[in-house]
Amino acid sequence: MLELRDLYFSVTDTGTSNKTSYRNIIDGINFAFEEGKFYTITGPNGSGKTTLAKLIMGINPVTSGTIIYGGRDITSFSITERARAGIAYSFQHPARFKGITFRDLLSIATGIEEEGRLIEIIRQVGICSFSFLDKAVDAKLSGGEIKKIELATTIALKPKLAIYDEPDTGIDLWTIHPMVDLLKKELNEHNTTTIVISHNRAFLEAADIVMIIDKGRFIYAGDLSGSLPLLTDLSICSYRTCGEEDNVKCFR
Amino acid sequence: MKRIMLNALDKSLLKAVADLEELPQGAYNIRKNGRLLARETSANIDIETTGEGTGIIVKIKPGSRNESVHIPVVLSQAGLFDVVYNTFLIGEYADVTIIAGCGIHCGTAAPEGHAGIHEFRVGKGAKVKYVEKHFATGPGKGRRTLNPTTRVFLAEGSHVEMELTQIGGVDEANRTNESTLAAGSLLLITERVMTDGNQEAVSKNAIILAEDNSRANMISRSVIKGNSKQNFYATIEARARCFGHIECDAIIMDNGINETTPSLKALHPDAELSHEASIGKIAGDQLMKLMSLGLTYDEAVNRIIKGFLK
Repeated sequence: MLELRDLYFSVTDTGTSNKTSYRNIIDGINFAFEEGKFYTITGPNGSGKTTLAKLIMGINPVTSGTIIYGGRDITSFSITERARAGIAYSFQHPARFKGITFRDLLSIATGIEEEGRLIEIIRQVGICSFSFLDKAVDAKLSGGEIKKIELATTIALKPKLAIYDEPDTGIDLWTIHPMVDLLKKELNEHNTTTIVISHNRAFLEAADIVMIIDKGRFIYAGDLSGSLPLLTDLSICSYRTCGEEDNVKCFR
Repeated sequence: MKRIMLNALDKSLLKAVADLEELPQGAYNIRKNGRLLARETSANIDIETTGEGTGIIVKIKPGSRNESVHIPVVLSQAGLFDVVYNTFLIGEYADVTIIAGCGIHCGTAAPEGHAGIHEFRVGKGAKVKYVEKHFATGPGKGRRTLNPTTRVFLAEGSHVEMELTQIGGVDEANRTNESTLAAGSLLLITERVMTDGNQEAVSKNAIILAEDNSRANMISRSVIKGNSKQNFYATIEARARCFGHIECDAIIMDNGINETTPSLKALHPDAELSHEASIGKIAGDQLMKLMSLGLTYDEAVNRIIKGFLK
């Protein structure tokens, strides 16, 4: 249902020399996502997970390559066109507004204004407090609250393809499993192709297909057990501890 | 009740500035083209014309509850610049909503304008909500000017909430607000101004926290489109143990220009004052979010501005 062909996303990299060079954040991805499957993408920080999601949603423009969705080439589609075609993206760092409430976002997503039906939607995502509807989606919300709102607006869209970017950030331990169950339920009821970007084992275990991305390329796609050797391979990790002899320099 | 003739134009202006479809319930004073058009008083609210005939005095009896008074002004006479001096005397422990506003309809090339100088004497423990909307419309090219001034004196323990809105169509606005707060009083001001084309708006605010435990919060939201310009100045001066905050946000679009200057003066060691100010375009992540919910770029911009000015 979603096919990525020779997908590249490059940024200019000015480094220490004055020469302009290009760096591929997404470095030639080819992959076909099947309808109604649950994919969990994981990978080290900076490996290109969010960039890939943003390419699919049209937030970042593709440098080269093609995105086929439902048999159509959507590479040049705007964000709006992709949303209207049934693609939804739950942001890793959701926007905070001034003067826009959770109710407003849900109404925009669904076209529904009737309170009873909005309450029904928020019940489905496990928000039982109705007063939550009139919460301003602003800088005062906690990290967990805004992620719940982000998840709810994405589910409310009833997308054909849902991409959740680290949906568990700021979410307490007791909510993660119900969240996994909720995404599974949505998949079973609406055949939603589900892509979750996460480092959380609960999402890796829930996936039909676990995918590992490193340096802008998929290095694994398969079941969880097959991915375990790679998940424990420290050579993939981009984090290095500083040795005692390393000096800290200021380049300013 | 007196029969008052409201024509279609008056009605549309009254709807825009005071949300009135017909004559309001309770006390009111409607001024049209520099003259009294209609007035109604109530058991607790008295309205008198000043001796010089240049404005009104609105007296609200002490202890009045759930009362409202509408005092809209409409202008549709070419070349007229209407100036009024209105005084509001709010009795102790009264609770009242005052709805003011000016609507201008400009049909010719001649300028039209209004300056309302409003002074509020708010009695001990009284609670006032003051809503003021400004709006101009019409096919004429005449310059539409609105220069409102509010002077507010809050007695001990009183509470004043002011909502000041300039909706659109006003070419030039010079807004002045001066407030002085006594012990334990609270002032909340929310100002929303949208300008477009070549319009200019200046808002000058001076709040004095004169006595202990007085509190003030001033919020300004500006949207500056086209080639318009807005300047916002706000000063809170603390003379006692008190709390004051200024929050001013401006969204600039097209070639809009904005100058925002919040200023704080602490003349007492226990004063707690803060401000936050921001000027910028609509945040990209807000646009992306709404577009990802299916809105077009233009729909997303309009929705964000609607919320921002809500």
